[in-house]
Amino acid sequence: MSAMLARPALRVASHGIKARSFSTTPAPQATLKELETRIRSVGNIGKITKSMKMVAASRLARAQKAMTQAKAYGVANSSVFEQSEASKSEAKVEKILYITIASDRGLCGGIHSSVAKATKRDIDGGEGQGKSVQVVVLGEKPKQQLTRGSVINDLALSFNQIGRAVPTFADALAIADKIEELGLDYDKVKIVYNKFVSVISYEAAFFEIYPLKALQASPSFAAYEVEGDELAADLGSFALANAIYAGLVEGHAAEISARRNAMENASKNASEMIDKLTMQFNRMRQAAITNELVDIITGASAL
Amino acid sequence: MSFLRAARTSLRTPILARTYAEQASASSALKLSLVLPHDTVYQSQDVLQVNISAVAGDMGILANHVPTIESLKPGVLEVIEANASESKKWFVSGGFANVHPNNTLTINAVEAYPLDAFSPEAIRSGLAEAQRVAAGSGDEATKAEAAVEVEVLEALQAAIRP
Repeated sequence: MSAMLARPALRVASHGIKARSFSTTPAPQATLKELETRIRSVGNIGKITKSMKMVAASRLARAQKAMTQAKAYGVANSSVFEQSEASKSEAKVEKILYITIASDRGLCGGIHSSVAKATKRDIDGGEGQGKSVQVVVLGEKPKQQLTRGSVINDLALSFNQIGRAVPTFADALAIADKIEELGLDYDKVKIVYNKFVSVISYEAAFFEIYPLKALQASPSFAAYEVEGDELAADLGSFALANAIYAGLVEGHAAEISARRNAMENASKNASEMIDKLTMQFNRMRQAAITNELVDIITGASAL
Repeated sequence: MSFLRAARTSLRTPILARTYAEQASASSALKLSLVLPHDTVYQSQDVLQVNISAVAGDMGILANHVPTIESLKPGVLEVIEANASESKKWFVSGGFANVHPNNTLTINAVEAYPLDAFSPEAIRSGLAEAQRVAAGSGDEATKAEAAVEVEVLEALQAAIRP
């Protein structure tokens, strides 16, 4: 304890020396203190990232379970479009609506930039090139990324409070409802979401939803007996809500696993940093002790 | 005729495999996929018959049904499996049933629960409440929602009545 009281006085003096001569080695005590605080703060950060990793790991199981059900739901939903070969529809696709799905929260690796980049890429060089494009964003983070780029000047609609819990179908319905209220005219909807490839990887993927016109002009759609246009329009709205739901849930699972991996890497880096800094601290401490000893001995031998 | 077909197919696949496949497609059962947002009830399973309650009317779907897209109204969905003695029933709140050209039936339902999962008292009280709101003096949106609730609960009440 007394050593600590002694140090501040010494530190003041050494600061003065430091200011005057640029090339002197700094007094060990000053740097020791700084190193100590640094080690402590990195330790705290490591604790935080480790707990975030635990939280993410515990939520992952639930999110993955919901994802398998939602995926089956999404596959059944797109079966109509696949069977009627809507992708080869004769209706011209001039207007495309993109719905980008991510979330509000960060510290999850490249989740948000993945969907934002995929959307931009498709608009610039992919299917959206030269077409009239509108974008709806789910989540604050991708919204910031998309509006920053020069391609998309204004978003048709944006949603926040996404990604706090496992998404429910009611969420997807509310979102689809709001989008329909806009009354946008489009020939095709492309939903951009993060597909859960494995626990350690994800990639941006697309769902394609076709409205009434495109469906009616699809090659194999004529095989279906459909009573009236209203039914096909209802199917389009329902299919949109289903696809948004599937994208939300899978994106949520991908985000949680990405956050777990990111926090695991961060914790690993933090512990490596602590090891390095502790090594440095100990060496410096020993050097300081050696210097003091040398001072004492030379002082004693001078007598 | 069959000679020619045999000669053609022998270039690609053994004749035996070819006829085996043809036989299978002729006697295949209806493949049902009944999926909910939070649960997968049937995933490409062979069933005998599915009775659905569509907006256009109640209908039974058997194997090789004409491809159709049906919107479901709140009602009972019954599945008769090949080997089961009793059919299984669910109450469905709504959704779409699509019969595809390849003898598959996909049903996307928003909510579906077995009939014994409901409590009659809860339905009765819920129905009374919804009827009150629907006939009340709220705004159009609330009244429309209550009207939908009345429709669902009335269908549910009819369904669980023994």
